[in-house]
Amino acid sequence: MESSDAALVTRVLHGEVNAYSALVSRYRDKYARYAVHMLGNREDAEEALQDAFTRAYRSLARCEEPERFGAWLFRILVNRCRTSGARRVRRGQTFVHDETALLNASEEHPAEQTMWREEIERALGELSADQREAFLLKYVEELGYDEMAEITGVGVSALKMRVMRACDRLRVLLREVHSA
Amino acid sequence: MRTRTARSFLAVLLAGSAFGTAEAQDPRIGARLDAPTRKAISALVDSARAQGIPVEPLMEKVYQGLAMGADGPRIIVAVRSLTTELGSAHRALGAVATTDEIKAAASAMHAGVPAVELGKMKKQSGLRRSLTLPFTVLADIVSRGVPVQTAANAIRSLVGAGAKDKDISDFQRNVSVDIEKGAPPADAAETRAKGAAPAAPAKPERIEKSEQE
Amino acid sequence: MPDWGRTTLELIVQELQHPVRLDESFDRRVMVRVRRAYAERRPRGVAAWIGAAASVTRRPAWAAALAAGIVAVVTVGMLRPRQAVRAGVGPIPVQFVLVAPGARSVAVVGDFNNWGLNDTALVAENHNGVWSVSAPVRAGVHRYAFLVDGKQYVADPTAPRSSGDDFGMPSSALVVEGTTQ
Repeated sequence: MESSDAALVTRVLHGEVNAYSALVSRYRDKYARYAVHMLGNREDAEEALQDAFTRAYRSLARCEEPERFGAWLFRILVNRCRTSGARRVRRGQTFVHDETALLNASEEHPAEQTMWREEIERALGELSADQREAFLLKYVEELGYDEMAEITGVGVSALKMRVMRACDRLRVLLREVHSA
Repeated sequence: MRTRTARSFLAVLLAGSAFGTAEAQDPRIGARLDAPTRKAISALVDSARAQGIPVEPLMEKVYQGLAMGADGPRIIVAVRSLTTELGSAHRALGAVATTDEIKAAASAMHAGVPAVELGKMKKQSGLRRSLTLPFTVLADIVSRGVPVQTAANAIRSLVGAGAKDKDISDFQRNVSVDIEKGAPPADAAETRAKGAAPAAPAKPERIEKSEQE
Repeated sequence: MPDWGRTTLELIVQELQHPVRLDESFDRRVMVRVRRAYAERRPRGVAAWIGAAASVTRRPAWAAALAAGIVAVVTVGMLRPRQAVRAGVGPIPVQFVLVAPGARSVAVVGDFNNWGLNDTALVAENHNGVWSVSAPVRAGVHRYAFLVDGKQYVADPTAPRSSGDDFGMPSSALVVEGTTQ
């Protein structure tokens, strides 16, 4: 049976450092997605994520709710991403999608997917860091505003404004024309 | 988030049935291309990405082609050509090059500068400075008629002497003005390169043995 | 007719929610750092390291391997592209100017605004034939051109020429410095 976050944290704090690898495996891919979209490239995302995991380990004794290690780690990652780059540096290779997920999107032709993906990434890069962060947390990571406030330290109304502006900007950039 | 709803909308959209009117324009720029063009370009983009070649410049080329009214086959040719140039630049400059350097190097190659020349410059400068602007200026002066080797030597000497981007920008402006006024391009480049190089610190003189006698 | 507002947003989110898989070596790399942190904080670990270091000096083969490992780590660190720490550089205001007394309209289009597609062209203001517009442009190298009277592409006479397949139209190169030096 899989150990809970709290159990793993306890073991690590008791000196069983290798138990930390289970936490790394558990949260690695989940948070990689956020880091990649926030920072715009895989290399910086991996660096930020590695950094977050390392910092989380170093301050593990200060994790007040070990059962919510994931959320606590995510907060560290969000901060690392803020420090890592207000500007997203686009490089040659951005990120690799899960092939299975792509194949399962059977309604979409892979060729359409590629160009659409690029357009979205470009548009995301045009948002301010605050707007991008708020948009990703709200819509991609599907957090509630209270959770977002806890993670970012920003008030709920400010977050709602950022999300709204991000959506407006994305719509302009990806230019929808409403039907009459 | 109702992803199933989104997918069903998308399926209808791609069927192209009811949504081809001007009032309900697809927000995706790629959708402005016909299907064969979209497929060919997506294949080029996927291939580039797999090789670690920057794909953003390819998308920019598509948008440029669409904006300028080029047809599908013409856009494919441009994207394919750029992919080749970016690939050569990427290989010549190595893993430490940035996307901007690769883009600028591809531009220089399009103007006629050999990849090996660009690779030498990158090797020489290493991580000390970006070569984005030097490569851009190199492409420009070659396109104005400065022979490739003369141009490459000029840029290499400026970079090697520690010239900043501003110095190299000024060099480009001066060379272009001189050429417009009728100066032979090679002479303009060589002359201005001498003037633009930062002054080297004075070295102690070596007195040759013969001079001592 | 669909509500395009929601549909576009759903399409975007659907795309962004695709899983991202990291290389399996990622876990190893994290654990290397974690174990190093663990070793640093253990008092007994420090004494043991000192002891091991002492024994290293008595065993040349160990010392060579340790030194090689240290050199490898330092070298890899140096090879990381410097631009990876290009933090805090947002778009930078750039002014575009074209002298075109006979023009009825001038706009700036380029890589930084999708070449004007979807109405993103930067419309210049006219002051006695001197057309100008300022806009924030992200750091990097961009191609651009002036679009005169909605139909004629004109290169910027004050900028380097762009070299590349430009569909038979002139264009210019713009390098916006972030931390390029």
